[in-house]
Amino acid sequence: MDHKEKNTEQLQEQEHISSYKEHFGTWAALILLTLMTVFVSAFGADLSTLTVATAMLIATVKALAVALYFMHLKYEAKIYRAWLIVVMALFVFFLFMVILDYLTR
Amino acid sequence: MTEAAISQPNFFQVKKGLFSWIFTLDHKRIGLLYLYSIGTFFLVAAGLGVLMRLELLNPGRDLIDPQTYNQVFTLHGVIMIFLFIIPSIPAVFGNFALPLLLGTDDVAFPRLNLFSWWLYILGAFFALSTLVFGDGPADTGWTFYAPYSVRTGTNVTMSVLAAFILGFSSILTGLNFIVTIHRLRTPGMGFNQMPLFAWSLYATSWIQLLATPVIGITLLMIVAERFFGIGLFDPSIGGDPILYQHLFWIYSHPAVYIMALPAMGIVSEVIPTFAQRTIFGYKAIAYSSMAIAFVGYFVWGHHMFTSGMSGPAAWIFSILTFFVAIPTAVKVFNWVATLYKGSINIEVPLLFALAFIFNFMIGGLTGLVLGALAADVHVHDTYFVVGHFHYVMFGGAGFAFFGALHYWFPKIWGKMYNKKVANISFILLFVGFNVTYFPMLILGIMGMPRRYYDYLPEFTNLNQVSTVGSWVLILGLIIMIINLVVSRRKGEKASSNPWNGITLDWQTTSPPPLHNFDKMPEIPEGGPYNYPDAHQVQKQK
Amino acid sequence: MEHAFVLPNSGHNWDAKSSKMGMWLFLFTELLLFGGLFLVYMVYRALNPDAFLIASFELNVYMGTVNTLVLLTSSMTIAMAITALQKGNVKLAITLSWLTILAAIAFLVIKYFEWGSKFEHGLFPGMDHYDSLPLGERLYFYLYFFMTGLHALHVIVGGIFIGVVIYFMRTGHVNKDKISLLENSGLYWHLVDLIWIYLFPLFYLIH
Repeated sequence: MDHKEKNTEQLQEQEHISSYKEHFGTWAALILLTLMTVFVSAFGADLSTLTVATAMLIATVKALAVALYFMHLKYEAKIYRAWLIVVMALFVFFLFMVILDYLTR
Repeated sequence: MTEAAISQPNFFQVKKGLFSWIFTLDHKRIGLLYLYSIGTFFLVAAGLGVLMRLELLNPGRDLIDPQTYNQVFTLHGVIMIFLFIIPSIPAVFGNFALPLLLGTDDVAFPRLNLFSWWLYILGAFFALSTLVFGDGPADTGWTFYAPYSVRTGTNVTMSVLAAFILGFSSILTGLNFIVTIHRLRTPGMGFNQMPLFAWSLYATSWIQLLATPVIGITLLMIVAERFFGIGLFDPSIGGDPILYQHLFWIYSHPAVYIMALPAMGIVSEVIPTFAQRTIFGYKAIAYSSMAIAFVGYFVWGHHMFTSGMSGPAAWIFSILTFFVAIPTAVKVFNWVATLYKGSINIEVPLLFALAFIFNFMIGGLTGLVLGALAADVHVHDTYFVVGHFHYVMFGGAGFAFFGALHYWFPKIWGKMYNKKVANISFILLFVGFNVTYFPMLILGIMGMPRRYYDYLPEFTNLNQVSTVGSWVLILGLIIMIINLVVSRRKGEKASSNPWNGITLDWQTTSPPPLHNFDKMPEIPEGGPYNYPDAHQVQKQK
Repeated sequence: MEHAFVLPNSGHNWDAKSSKMGMWLFLFTELLLFGGLFLVYMVYRALNPDAFLIASFELNVYMGTVNTLVLLTSSMTIAMAITALQKGNVKLAITLSWLTILAAIAFLVIKYFEWGSKFEHGLFPGMDHYDSLPLGERLYFYLYFFMTGLHALHVIVGGIFIGVVIYFMRTGHVNKDKISLLENSGLYWHLVDLIWIYLFPLFYLIH
């Protein structure tokens, strides 16, 4: 089996093509979340730490939307999600230990 | 395996001339390009090391002034770490042997592979250019700590940019190997049928990929601070130099596992071959590579115990550091168990593997001393540290590199090296190495600081022993290199499988043809090291 | 003499899955590259919360919001371009890719005006107003320029990447059956978007 056939086979396996509708829906959700986060910041009470947490939470939801739908991660082989989780967990650990250093000095 | 009519020219013969090498897409040639360039820079850095030991022969000035001495140890470190040890085994032997071991004909991205080498050369050029202009090479130590690295007039920017470029080379190699291992294994070879060198390269590649970007961005911050005169580690704008140390070591600690894991992978290949037995605990060794890579990300603070980091952070890092010794110990036990009741064939590759185990044990145990917070306070920044890391990096990874050179020498060049001379060079290297570095462990406990140009009179004797050791070491190195260089041309012709190995690399000719295999390689049944009968070994010379 | 035997698992066959895997791995390096800067930001913000808040008032939330919306839209257009090509609609794919580049340009133009106004106010490291700021604020602006600057560089690279892919779509080198380059350029573009998704609230929406 020459490589051209091999690749067409692969593409046929990976049947899922995201629809325009799905992309539009993701976009709408992202716009909504953005407006929400601006709103919270502009009119939210002086919650300081809570505002950071809320802002980061909303940002993460947006990021997940981009990753899972626009980047097709939801439909890719599971290993990609596993890898992404490991990468993010690693970053979080770095952040955690460094901030711990500063907060306990 | 018949040696009869070779239908293909070997990979050296297919095309000749300089351009066919520097524009090659053949992983075997790229491995050799790395070998020649890495070898050259290694010799430069080794020379700097000899120079340092000469200066330390007596207290006070012997040959060079203090400023020059600082530049010498900095350049020695930068070259040895970024131009030699980190690329060495992956870039030379990973490139040459990984596709062979997996039963494929190249890496996943051959052009990216060539680009990695060009980046390496560019980085080397940047690093060495610091010798020729301005105030000379950086004098900060290879660690480039702020604030001194931001203030000093020496060529820090070029050195740091060199490290950045070399880091990129490293990242791309890691990326290439991960995809190669996932996508190009021969049919029937699952992850758990892969040779252990491939596993070690897999774990290493993940470190190269994920850790290197952190130092990349950190070095850019240093460049920015030098360029703008202010920066993120500058207390005058509220910055903290210790933050630099955190970011630096977040890469540089995992980096030592980039150095150690491939070396351990070599040992895991050599021992089964020369014991003619299957490896003891294949899965344990495979997974311990991943475990070392994983835990290695969590311990960087042990380089910073005396920096001003908080107490709680310090003891958390200390505890985590102890965990990384466990998977390493698993490997050592399994290697020794493999040798037990094996049909031992004493050849130089095995000698280097055994020396690795000996040296790495000393290095590893001294590492535990350093990982223990209370003990570290006494020996931090002393010669104890210098002894420790030379034991693991040189006595460990360096010796494994030499072992790999001898192991795959016949496969690469189709010739056998002179075994008598190789044995002599090994003995000189092993004895010279230990005489050079063991005294440093004692000197450190006695209180001799590192990176000092001078020392107190009571440290003289051990320093002199160490310096003499360095001469024996260099002699061994020179003899080894001459032996290999001469044997390349004049050595006896080697068969395709002089060590009676069972991994796929031995199922093709020596040297291999351009596309590695002339027919489908056969995976050994039951596992990559499943030798049929340990007691009926046919040695082919 | 012609090479007769080819391994089934040859490394010389272009392979869509390998290409995608390679791109994802490269994205991980980018995440950690920016991660280092985010780490520095988090530390200094934790140590200088008030200074960061005050400094952030210099930033124009409207421009930041518009830029966010622009980038999010561009992510949609490139994702749709991939859908279009997968369905065989090359012309639509090219149009959507051009729209993505247009969005990139719009982003950079807005950024240009933002930075311009900071320069006018002397807020760049080394300038007079900057030097007179309290320490925490100086850290804020240093990070602002470093991080948005590095991000802008990636916007430019991403735009060029998509431009190159448009060329290949026109020559047919990138097509329905060989879509990897378009997908990979899309992945890179989404990364650029992802980084901005975090940069925006951290610099513009501190309170």
